[in-house]
Amino acid sequence: MKIMNPSAVDPEKGQSAERWEQQLRKGSLEMATLAALWTGRLYGLEIIRRFEDSSQLALTEGTIYPILSRLKNEGLLASEWVEAQAGHPRKYYWLTGAGRARLKHMAETWTEFSRELGRLIRPVIEARKEEVMK
Amino acid sequence: MTPSREQELKIDNYLRKFRQCLPSMPIADQEEIIREISVHIRESAQQPNASVDEILHRLGPAENLASEYAQDRLIERASASFSPLLIVRATLELARRGVEGLAVFLGVITGYAFGGGLLLTAALKPIFPRQTGLWIGPGVFDFGIHEPRYAAPVHEVLGWWYIPVAFWLGSFFVWLTTYGIRRFLRRSKQSRPLFNRGQIGMNHI
Repeated sequence: MKIMNPSAVDPEKGQSAERWEQQLRKGSLEMATLAALWTGRLYGLEIIRRFEDSSQLALTEGTIYPILSRLKNEGLLASEWVEAQAGHPRKYYWLTGAGRARLKHMAETWTEFSRELGRLIRPVIEARKEEVMK
Repeated sequence: MTPSREQELKIDNYLRKFRQCLPSMPIADQEEIIREISVHIRESAQQPNASVDEILHRLGPAENLASEYAQDRLIERASASFSPLLIVRATLELARRGVEGLAVFLGVITGYAFGGGLLLTAALKPIFPRQTGLWIGPGVFDFGIHEPRYAAPVHEVLGWWYIPVAFWLGSFFVWLTTYGIRRFLRRSKQSRPLFNRGQIGMNHI
């Protein structure tokens, strides 16, 4: 799992670009956490592993638990401790009705936002591709 | 892999520090949070080639992790509280998160300063009767407490009525500020923006 380290700055990007990238990832974590639970119930470590599969969602692991706690307090998630037959008990989370509705709204907003932004930055991406081709 | 005695000690130290830094909350909530973090560490430590140091590093410093819970808890408590002190602390936290929060914080400070100031002058009127009041005259509308500085035709208009008027107005502004900010905090909890500086702080990156 890629751990972002503020002291490790890519000299090509510069510190502010690196920070922006990290903020972008962390800023979308609330939606990503809800989305990870869309298909069913998961516990904290499983959500983290799901994020590991999507390398763009790199985070330190401690970030996820306060988000889960906040989402639960807001009524978007429900949780339950389940005793494992072997090993440790696990606290499973799942989306409530309000959580599913919030996630749908977030997903629509995100899609619209990224489409508009994608349209704006398309010339930049194309110029970048041409640079790489040369 | 079961953690060694030395690793267990590191885990216990981390959890002890985490517990100390957690905000005040019902014991059951606190225990549940600690239990969840504890299970995370111990289950991660059972993975092949797992390192407790690496697991704790990934979690971030115990005080930073606890402060994430503390910030949310503070805003949660303030949204259900009538304590001006708690509300000011919560809005100070919001002010650290962005421009909107800063505007809210300044509004709260202004509201409480104005309301509290009126209440204070109402209480001081019996002690400084000549220096406290509402002065009205050509181009003058002044109220509060200061040395007498106006000559006729400017004059103090309320007399002892200043006490109930200032008390009522001061109470109204304190209530209005408290009510307004509670509504704001509840609304902001329900419509948390996608990009919230509370989440995108650098503490845990």
